[in-house]
Amino acid sequence: MSTEVAPSPGAPTGTARPARTKPPKDFDRPRFLKAFVGLFFLVLFVPIVLVILFSFNSSRSLQNFEGFSLRWYQEFFESESLRDSLIASVEIALITMVVATVLGTLLAYGLVRSRTRWSNAANVMMLVPLVTPEIVAGASALLLFTQIGLELSITTIILAHITFSISYVTVVVRARLASLGREVESAAMDLGATRWQTFRLVTLPALWPAVLAAGLLVFALSFDDFVLSFFTTGESPQPLPVRIWTQIRFGVRPTINAIGTFMLVISVLSIGLALLLPRLFGRKESGLKVLLGREAA
Amino acid sequence: MNENRFASSFLVPGGLWLLALFVVPLIFLLAISFGHTDDLGEAIYGFELTNYERVFDADLIPVLLRSVGFALATVVICLLIGYPVAYYIAIYGGRWKNVLLALVVLPFFVNYLIRTYAWIAMLGDDGLVNGLFDSSIRFINTPYAVIGGLVYGFLAFMILPIFASLDNMDRSLIEAGKDLYGGPWQTFRHVTLPHSIQGVLAGSVLVFLPAVGDFVSASLLGGPEDVMVGNLIQQQFQASDNWPFGAALTVVMMAFLLIWMSLYLRSAAREARGEAV
Repeated sequence: MSTEVAPSPGAPTGTARPARTKPPKDFDRPRFLKAFVGLFFLVLFVPIVLVILFSFNSSRSLQNFEGFSLRWYQEFFESESLRDSLIASVEIALITMVVATVLGTLLAYGLVRSRTRWSNAANVMMLVPLVTPEIVAGASALLLFTQIGLELSITTIILAHITFSISYVTVVVRARLASLGREVESAAMDLGATRWQTFRLVTLPALWPAVLAAGLLVFALSFDDFVLSFFTTGESPQPLPVRIWTQIRFGVRPTINAIGTFMLVISVLSIGLALLLPRLFGRKESGLKVLLGREAA
Repeated sequence: MNENRFASSFLVPGGLWLLALFVVPLIFLLAISFGHTDDLGEAIYGFELTNYERVFDADLIPVLLRSVGFALATVVICLLIGYPVAYYIAIYGGRWKNVLLALVVLPFFVNYLIRTYAWIAMLGDDGLVNGLFDSSIRFINTPYAVIGGLVYGFLAFMILPIFASLDNMDRSLIEAGKDLYGGPWQTFRHVTLPHSIQGVLAGSVLVFLPAVGDFVSASLLGGPEDVMVGNLIQQQFQASDNWPFGAALTVVMMAFLLIWMSLYLRSAAREARGEAV
């Protein structure tokens, strides 16, 4: 098997392989690996394709596809409580996006451009939420809200979501900021700009692609989040993922496929936009690299 | 105003927010874990260790071990699946690299619950597969289903860091290894693997941490024998309303995870410093 993974062109393999004449990037593209990756993508996408397919099923069945219809989408949008949940989910994601993007961007600037004891502490405080299991965050947020007497509602969900979204924004924006040369900032200050003017007129415009991409990423994460919402939600309206949980636990209706497909479309749109935005700004680098924070490399 | 002070002021809003809504709640959690509940189920602060004694009670040890075992199995499977995929995309992706990477990330933006539900619909006792083959194989409500759900949930966290480390590697090193008569396995072991070890370690931690704390997979795909520590915590905070005990469980889990977190954070901090200079 190991010989299939990367056959050595130097070894006497017997078959005449035009190894040296082809461009190096596929001089020994191993067939086994290709098949493995193909299988991987198949398994990855089959469940998702099924959800989309069955969202258009005309019968109640979740097993047999009996014809095309939009009845489950109709039921989804006509149900007042599901519509309230959808509106709540969008509201939560939008407010989270705006607040977390502002706070996260400021934090990124502070972390990159200052070297104090405080910036080290802030750096750790920013990184820990990224690796904290959501259940810890959810349980502790629930505890805080009840201890200070804040009634559970959309507001408490938004507060919890913002807390855990700041770090994503900071990581993405910080990578972009670290890759920017400081010459332009210095030039602006030599020309008499104050530090604040330099930040507003020089640094911030250069950060826009990363800031927007991070914001859209946060929108998608917040819109999809279940665990934090589950711990901090009030009675009603509950965000869509909490409703999905209730359905799976206490009886599935075929509308679940329509809800799932609709949520998928919203997530894919926001992530797609996040990936494409840097291009719209006339940059050559891919949005994926901006999001993965790998521009500096 | 000097630059250091100007930039430091930008830390204030985000820093205060994280302090008030992330650090302070964790302190509350720690404090209440030493408390107890009164007759009405209200949590009362105090200083007693009974909750911690309960966590390490003989009944619960299997649950703690199972959580770690499931999470470790998830890491190993994610590595076995994720490494070849990341390798293929980084080395052979060519101009399709970004498309393939986007295809890896895309499913992870389909709601975790919906993806888990899709597996139930496919593999449930009267699901698609059993219907198709007229069989009655039990896939769901088994430990394998729980681990499968965790793998499907967190695989992207393994693939992305490995891809990043392989993509940064100088491709000609592999050719150099081969020119020096290294076999494919030798080249992989002495050249490729050492270059991607940072990605492997980062990916393993990023999969392990959420897997240990997960309760969705075990709730939806596991049977009553497959309960993980996340399920216990969730029940204490929601169904049985024993917050002090739930808090103690959370603190123990978090203390255990801190070891791995600090390893990851140290390398992440090193990287950030290197970039910022």
